[in-house]
Amino acid sequence: MAEERRGSWFGFGFCGFGQALGSGRGRQVHSPEPLQTPGEDADVCRVSASWSYTAFVTRGGRLELSGSAGCAAGGCRDAWASEALLVVLRAGPGRGAGTELQAWAPGSALSGEPLWAHTVGPEAEGEDAPGGEPQAGALPLLPGARAYVSPRPPFYSPLAPELRARRLELGAEHALLLDEAGQVFSWGQGRHGQLGHGTLEAELEPRPLEALQGVPMAEVAAGGWHSVCVSETGDIYIWGWNESGQLALPSRSLAEVGKTAAGEASGPKEDGSDVRTAEGESGGLAPFIAIQPFPALLDLPPGTDAVKASCGSRHTAVVTRTGELYTWGWGKYGQLGHEDTSSLDRPRRVEYFVDKRLQVRAVSCGPWNTYVYAVEKAEG
Amino acid sequence: MAGAGTLREALRALLPPTKEELTLQLGETVERSVVRLLREAVELFCGGRGDECLQASEAILDYSWEKLNTGPWRDVHRDWRRVYAFGCLLKAVCLCEETGDAGAVAAALRVCDMGLLMGAAILGDILTKVAAVLQAHLPSGKRPAPGPAQEQPHEKKARHDHVRIPDVRSERTVPRLRCPSLQHFRKHFLVPGRPVILEGVADQWPCMKKWSLEYIQDVAGCRTVPVEVGSRYTDEEWSQTLMTVNEFISKYIRDEPRDVGYLAQHQLFDQIPELKRDISIPDYCCLGDGDEEEITINAWFGPQGTVSPLHQDPQQNFLAQVTGRKYIRLYSPQESEALYPHDTHLLHNTSQVDVENPDLEKFPKFAEAPFLSCILCPGEILFIPVKYWHYVRALDLSFSVSFWWS
Repeated sequence: MAEERRGSWFGFGFCGFGQALGSGRGRQVHSPEPLQTPGEDADVCRVSASWSYTAFVTRGGRLELSGSAGCAAGGCRDAWASEALLVVLRAGPGRGAGTELQAWAPGSALSGEPLWAHTVGPEAEGEDAPGGEPQAGALPLLPGARAYVSPRPPFYSPLAPELRARRLELGAEHALLLDEAGQVFSWGQGRHGQLGHGTLEAELEPRPLEALQGVPMAEVAAGGWHSVCVSETGDIYIWGWNESGQLALPSRSLAEVGKTAAGEASGPKEDGSDVRTAEGESGGLAPFIAIQPFPALLDLPPGTDAVKASCGSRHTAVVTRTGELYTWGWGKYGQLGHEDTSSLDRPRRVEYFVDKRLQVRAVSCGPWNTYVYAVEKAEG
Repeated sequence: MAGAGTLREALRALLPPTKEELTLQLGETVERSVVRLLREAVELFCGGRGDECLQASEAILDYSWEKLNTGPWRDVHRDWRRVYAFGCLLKAVCLCEETGDAGAVAAALRVCDMGLLMGAAILGDILTKVAAVLQAHLPSGKRPAPGPAQEQPHEKKARHDHVRIPDVRSERTVPRLRCPSLQHFRKHFLVPGRPVILEGVADQWPCMKKWSLEYIQDVAGCRTVPVEVGSRYTDEEWSQTLMTVNEFISKYIRDEPRDVGYLAQHQLFDQIPELKRDISIPDYCCLGDGDEEEITINAWFGPQGTVSPLHQDPQQNFLAQVTGRKYIRLYSPQESEALYPHDTHLLHNTSQVDVENPDLEKFPKFAEAPFLSCILCPGEILFIPVKYWHYVRALDLSFSVSFWWS
């Protein structure tokens, strides 16, 4: 039985508003750095990052905001950060008073009155994971799974109880839901293929992904315009927009880098390398994929099982069973953690954690950055 | 050649004189964090911290770009497009602040064009003015190297596959009229919704004499425009991309193109006002309800062989032909059922039938649907009534200008 090892958080990517993210040098961090939060760091169990600020929740129920919004508050069990709205789940005043869902303007520093508040019944008390590991958290899915919050009107949307939602994630214009049986549903706009039903049509109501029926999923994650899910057996399925390689499929824009760099004439790159073409398995040229409208099975290195996934606007991060972190997609702000700002259309392991002998246990992506929870590898 | 100093002065002269005026009035839609970043970027700019301003502008551009790509385009809030344009303005000016070399100026012009293509007008349409200044400061090499430049486009025709010129004598043709009066046009064509070719209306426009490949490259060569690549927009391999007019001409018109490229449905005359002086708005547009500013003018510029699949538009259309000929087929809205429109939301105004090679087993009613056709030649204007189905194929290197009005 593994003893509980205290882990810690790391961050990399965009921090242009001074949000806590490693050392915060400059406006971006290109390689993982230990998180320096105001106050106690070792206790952070939940990280929810919006574009200009990040919300940290500790096991002790303390909420810290860092970035364009900064404040601290107590009595919080969960938080969900967006530019328009900060949603927190707070213990109600007094014993046995149940939990209250509050929505605040991020700049309000949680003082005064929330924009709206909603009491959540006591049956909706959640449990923490065994071992005290950070949970993905339930928000934006509300405890009780009868409704979810969103940053746009209507802020509070009911869910049909027969959906038996376990997890819900929101993209820029779509939603993903994972139910108790491991079935994935999607709805919203479909123009970028992010719904996964094989068309570009919108869906008003949650619709199950037929292509995935029969494969129980353990996790779902929504990026700006792409969707990821992880099966119980460790496979990754991915679909939606691939404009920056966030699907780990050949992306035309990445292949053209070097041809269209600002101010340069077209021609071979300075180092003499050719523009990359996509090679198919048979050695022929595979086509570039801009939009993948139904789920594709992703190839990680052989023997790698995925256990967790999280997506930023245009990048993807995956944690494996053996504690490695793989990232790919848009990398302009260092959010892939590979010490540079290149975008990638294939998965690459974040070597920092391997080099430091750290086992990654959880990942939480903001739109343009990535937060990682890792523990030191056991000796022997 | 103008040095960096004069370029910087010329650009500064276009900007508002004070820091306070270098700002946007924005509503609730744009989040406070963005407003804060905009202010910060202006502070950095006015404080001479160009590199940091560039960084902030990049973040402004990347964030507003995401908003521009969220939801249907027509629902994108105008303020996000203004924010995007503002980011383009700061970035373009910062790029030129340090050096005035051709690379920086070309890059700045590309940024301006992105702001014009995707943004919305700000600060008195400043991006158009900045673009004009940048264009004027490009070294004379704004055209590709001389040589084949003198060659007439028609000489290329010999290398192409033999083009099929339809025999329109066997088809019912669109009637032609020479300079009809406004009343006559309204009574006999606009109100009943009947197509007609107007002669003698556009034939004296300056564009008819002036627009050669050389002239277009001179006036617009370094400007970025959207190009459609692929035989037709209903194909799987069809895509849209951005490139300069020079790149478009060299890749898709001059050098034995591998694919079909079409500079289609682009409001080129808003982007490059100089070209607007070569065309006129047909008087007949005043018969509509809308204002002149509401008329959408599009450029359609491409090689022989471009095809617009059979489709309908929600406004009246005057299609003026400037260079080359187009084969056009017209079907009345009453025949819609026989044209088998797609049932998707995205393509519901487009027919599934390939007009010149119809699959009559799949689309049997199409064979009997009556139509009008014509070969539209330079100097002529085709009136396409609202919702009238039309199919267009370019028989030569072609430049058309369309006027959508209501």
